[in-house]
Amino acid sequence: MPVLPEFSLAGRTAILATSGGDQAPFLAQALAEAGASVFTLARTQLLLDAVLDSLPGAENQYGAITGPPSAEGLGKAMEEFGRVHDHLDILVNDSRSMFAKPFTDITLAEWDEVHSRNVRSTFLLCQEAGRRMIHQGYGRIVNVVSELAERGMVNGAAFAASQAALLSLTRSLAVEWGRFNIRVNALGTGWFSSEDLPLEEQRQELLVRYTPLRRFGHPRDIGPLLVYLCSEACDYTTGQPVYVDGGLNAHP
Amino acid sequence: MLESLSLDGKVVVITGGGTGLGLAMVRALARAGANISIAGRSQGPIDDAAAEVKALGGGSLAVSTDVTDSVQVDRMIAATIERFGRIDVLINNAGAVREAVRKPIWEITDGEWRSEMEVNLTGAFFCARAASKPMADQGSGKIINVASGFGLRGGRDIYMYCCSKGGMIQLTRVLSLNLARHGITANTIVPGFIPTVNATESMGDTVPQSGDFLPTGKLGKPEDLGPLAVFLSSEASDYMSGEMFIADGGGLAAGIAPTGHAPVVPLEA
Repeated sequence: MPVLPEFSLAGRTAILATSGGDQAPFLAQALAEAGASVFTLARTQLLLDAVLDSLPGAENQYGAITGPPSAEGLGKAMEEFGRVHDHLDILVNDSRSMFAKPFTDITLAEWDEVHSRNVRSTFLLCQEAGRRMIHQGYGRIVNVVSELAERGMVNGAAFAASQAALLSLTRSLAVEWGRFNIRVNALGTGWFSSEDLPLEEQRQELLVRYTPLRRFGHPRDIGPLLVYLCSEACDYTTGQPVYVDGGLNAHP
Repeated sequence: MLESLSLDGKVVVITGGGTGLGLAMVRALARAGANISIAGRSQGPIDDAAAEVKALGGGSLAVSTDVTDSVQVDRMIAATIERFGRIDVLINNAGAVREAVRKPIWEITDGEWRSEMEVNLTGAFFCARAASKPMADQGSGKIINVASGFGLRGGRDIYMYCCSKGGMIQLTRVLSLNLARHGITANTIVPGFIPTVNATESMGDTVPQSGDFLPTGKLGKPEDLGPLAVFLSSEASDYMSGEMFIADGGGLAAGIAPTGHAPVVPLEA
């Protein structure tokens, strides 16, 4: 089965950062399968273990827990990274800690926590990664976001605003760092499930019947796209979201 | 999960496949294992492209086609099915700037408007109409429209090109919504400026000489679209439909200020 060598990430070093959800192991697997060495940064031990347990190869068994996003915490994590790798080519931010609640009930603490996990963490990481990538004159950053970055949803305000912030960050960083051969893009998803549910069972769900392609997305549906966005071949695309959503964006 | 990026045995139809962006896509598709039916107005370039595909081990067919003539389009699709038995992917890449592009609106003739809308938009519609039925019958298919950044933004004295390319982006959305139930997806490639012979000739002295105007600082190459066309043609993009994949050196992400504008404003007390 011929797969273009342009999709290879051999020799590349990647940081995969996750703040929540169960998608990160699949994203890490795609990067590793393409030949990248993956270093995982996770908000909690549980999230870190899920990724490391899913990855083959001793070179992919390195990672760190970031905890609540802070410059100090990330500094320590990057020290760990520096003990294993001397350069950073790829940063994938999977900062999509989900939250939904009627807007008038959201506490300030909840609002801050959602934005801390999803936006503050990405700000800190992009700054760390950007400094290294500017210095070496090469980099690929992919922010994995929810399609709620573009749409409104009942009870979704806090989470959607955090995803829109990531999309906006994607645009500005792409423009600010374009001359350094750094490409910054977003990969947006619709309704996804990491379980391999039979189609008939999925179609009991209203959201599935609403989705033009009549199934949930699975993280495997974005693995190869993530690899392409992280590849050297993806040189002319920057500052853009690419949505994988079963056709939802075209829905009336 | 990366084996889904292979096009082993897939049948791809591409219009405007003999030159420029189309030829670069043909080469990448062939390397990924596709059989390719190449349509174009001039026989010479599509014959050469078909020979390249054959040399890479793929089946190929060159069908001289004017996409503004639905009889020729239907014949080209039928010839492809006769040769390969199916169509997995249609890439609507044919596009032309037949008339002088830049004119004040009051100087544009009826014929100039119709001619360019026909090549870019009507041609894509004819090809999608002809290919979608066999795709629906086989229960799967992918339609890829090649539009332009001018389909999303305005261009100075560029009317037909902007409107027809914007129309292709909308065509993609409507196709995706309605053909989903037949297992058919539709997506748009939105290239920014990429120098090719056709683009350079049609733009005359307004053609960009360098990529200084772009955030990336460099112009794209036709080859930049190769792996992208392969991804969108492959099973790796099965859950993606109705979407745009923009490849424009960051132009559309920017645009609120001239390239190089970098203000520093401290926070107020």
